[in-house]
Amino acid sequence: MDELRAAVAIARKDIRNVSRYRFQVASSIFTPLYQGILPALLFGASFAVAGHVVGLEKTIGTQDLAGFIFLGGVMTGLVATAFWSMAMSIRNEMEAGTLEPTWLTPTSRETIVLGRALGGLFWFAFSQIAIFAIGMGLFGLRFRPEILLALPAVAIAIVAMVGVAYLLAAVVLLIKEANFFIDCTNYLFGVAIGAAFPITLLPGALQPVSYLLPATYAMDLVRQQGLGTRPLLDPALEYVALIVTTAIVFPIGLWAYRRADGRIRRLGTINQY
Amino acid sequence: MTTGPAVEVTGLTKVFEKGRRTVWQRLRREPDKRSKFVAVNGIDLRVERGEIFGVLGPNGAGKTTTLRMLATLLEPTSGEVRVLGIDVRKDPRQIRANLGAMLSGERSLYWKLTARENLEYFAALYHVPPKETTARIDAALVAVKLTDRADDYVERYSTGMRQRLALARALLPDPPLVILDEPTVGLDPQSARDLRDRVRELKRQGRTVLLTTHYMEEADQLCDRIAIIDHGEIVALDTPAALKRRIRAEEVVSLEIGMTGEDAPMLARLANSAVIARSERHNGTLAVTAHCASARDFVPAAFDAARSEGATIQHVEVVPVSLEDVFISLTGRALRE
Amino acid sequence: MNTGYLAGDLRALRAAGLMSLRQIRRYPTNLFGTIFWPVLLPAVWVLMGQAYSGGGDPEALNAFASRAGTTGIALFVFIGYLMYMWLSALLWGPGTALRQEQIRGSLEAVFLTPVSRLVPLFGPTLTNIVWIVADLFVMGLAAWLLFGVVLPLQGVVLAFAITLVGVPAMYAMGALFGAGVLRFGEIGPAVQFTRGVLSMLCGITFPIAMLPGWAQATAVAMPPTHIVDGMRNALLRSASPGDLVPTAAALIGLAIVFGALAVVVFRWLEASARRTGMLGRY
Repeated sequence: MDELRAAVAIARKDIRNVSRYRFQVASSIFTPLYQGILPALLFGASFAVAGHVVGLEKTIGTQDLAGFIFLGGVMTGLVATAFWSMAMSIRNEMEAGTLEPTWLTPTSRETIVLGRALGGLFWFAFSQIAIFAIGMGLFGLRFRPEILLALPAVAIAIVAMVGVAYLLAAVVLLIKEANFFIDCTNYLFGVAIGAAFPITLLPGALQPVSYLLPATYAMDLVRQQGLGTRPLLDPALEYVALIVTTAIVFPIGLWAYRRADGRIRRLGTINQY
Repeated sequence: MTTGPAVEVTGLTKVFEKGRRTVWQRLRREPDKRSKFVAVNGIDLRVERGEIFGVLGPNGAGKTTTLRMLATLLEPTSGEVRVLGIDVRKDPRQIRANLGAMLSGERSLYWKLTARENLEYFAALYHVPPKETTARIDAALVAVKLTDRADDYVERYSTGMRQRLALARALLPDPPLVILDEPTVGLDPQSARDLRDRVRELKRQGRTVLLTTHYMEEADQLCDRIAIIDHGEIVALDTPAALKRRIRAEEVVSLEIGMTGEDAPMLARLANSAVIARSERHNGTLAVTAHCASARDFVPAAFDAARSEGATIQHVEVVPVSLEDVFISLTGRALRE
Repeated sequence: MNTGYLAGDLRALRAAGLMSLRQIRRYPTNLFGTIFWPVLLPAVWVLMGQAYSGGGDPEALNAFASRAGTTGIALFVFIGYLMYMWLSALLWGPGTALRQEQIRGSLEAVFLTPVSRLVPLFGPTLTNIVWIVADLFVMGLAAWLLFGVVLPLQGVVLAFAITLVGVPAMYAMGALFGAGVLRFGEIGPAVQFTRGVLSMLCGITFPIAMLPGWAQATAVAMPPTHIVDGMRNALLRSASPGDLVPTAAALIGLAIVFGALAVVVFRWLEASARRTGMLGRY
């Protein structure tokens, strides 16, 4: 109970902290819109023939360009939450000097990441609701009712991304150029899971990497159920793959984080900036 | 929790390796050729419950490294460390649950939160029972005199106020032991005096305080006992008064002597009537710090010595013995070098 | 600039440029970033284009060509992203140099010297050109190796010429941004927003024809629009030097307008700072 209370307190602190930077809050909604979604929509629409995106239908089995892009934005947002809000923020706290006092408390180091995950997911949910409201109001975004069947996939993907966040936190606590590392890997991860385009368009040598990532299956399941796109694999098989890859990623991430914690305690670098 | 000492340290050592070993070197099991830096070299320490214990030394002496090992932030290379009777390696979380620590002061606060919000957050991390949280926060704010500013953003606080808030946070777990790393560094004299009053209050409450400082006046005024640390080793450990008595001097005389010849004959004559703690030559002036039983006896002898060597005493200053003088006599250099 | 101090100001300008070059060397990830982002970002959009075009469906490609003036999706995207990289380097570098100095606390120290106030405003732009040349080279190579795009020689020369003509306009725009951000604070959000808006307006990732009329009209007032259009004309639509004269004229005109605006805004801010003591605060 103490650990859970601590996790909730961390989430509350993050939510409070972020909410006091109003520009950042607005940015979390509008930046994905004007940096990613709108340009992609306009780019995709430039291939439309009499209002029909025939090319997209040929590629994945649906003409619903807005649905394809907005759902891709959901997974991109979740990935970004894991990379930046859960993992990189720990490094930012280390550099600001506020990580050290949290390590002086009896709260476990794992709970500190978990607390950040809760706070990050709050803002993720907040921004996605706002983005989807704009999508429905301005771009006629509509989904099939079957999209609800994909919600368990999203939930499992969240667990997987927390595992990824532990792994990333282990790295960013130890390396020098953490910001650059997170920036690059965040983008690569988003590309690899098929958020921007189907993974079948990736070079053959890179596709196996996509199949190792839990979020790839979540992405595909959400689009299948929401838009009726052609699936990568049989949906039941995709669920199994999602669960298996999550079950592998999470303990690896936790193990790496504990190793990093031990290393920092040996080197004494918790307060370096 | 046992009733033994608050802190007991035996043979505590911390060695850092300089540089990194690449993955390739590790895979090939190449010998570790990195140079080693011994930050703390086999220190023994015992802090009794209810005392204010100071660790005094210059920057880089090993004070902060020692404190971090006690606070479980840094793993010792070797030695035994027991805090409140608990081995730091065996149950660090239990130690942290009973330890209040202020290590990096104002940098360790969230500036976009109010003082109260900062404390609410840390109260949860310290596993303070929810029913007690409000009372503990209020008590901590009263202890550091920040109650009337509790709902202001920390970004609007002065440095002194942030240091006090960091101390308030350290008090949230109602700790029997509080460790403070250079608590008054960067503060103006009034704020520093204020913080020292708060520290004395902690002792009156029955808590043990372990603090580091490089201000010898602070150590002198606050601490029941002091360990002087230099180059990772404890060079002396005793009460301030006993430490000063160690150098067998009551007064310190500083002389500036204008001279053209060699230092050695002059110093030899002065050494007949005092202990020469330190001497420095800058061009034509020899600056000497001497420890003596009585300045009234030593100063005329110094003038005689100067006359004999054809030198001129340009300046004489007599001050009571301080811990700085103790440090100089033990290490051969000043605390601030 | 006061002509009496001209020699000193020019030396100071050189020193400001050397200082930013030194800082580039001390951050090796900057170099890696020069290879990584200029290749990855456009490559992803080219693959997106393949998804939207159904892997080259003739109907889809013709629809794109009717709006973009070309079926060369890869080069269309790479040129757009070259401008994106230039904007990023411009806004994060010279565009925020003054503000970063203010945050560090060194702006006051700079202003305590007799150097012209325009030196810290324009000084860092000199080394920014290093990035752009590097990006040009890397992206040309990537387009060829990854997507088989062979650049026509005359097109390359004309594209390079348009870039050079566009440099004063871009840096004048950057200086105006730099003066503005000095007053309004948060660097990160300001850069993201400005870069995002310019990317949308200037046809970086999609043809401008997709924008509503009012947005297209606004785009005409932005230097990146003309540079991107000029480069696409040169490399994708076989434009001759004569075809690009109107583009060059527009860029020169915009350089004068933005440059003058930047100086006016900056002088106003400077006067305001002397009254309010703003320089040392943020």
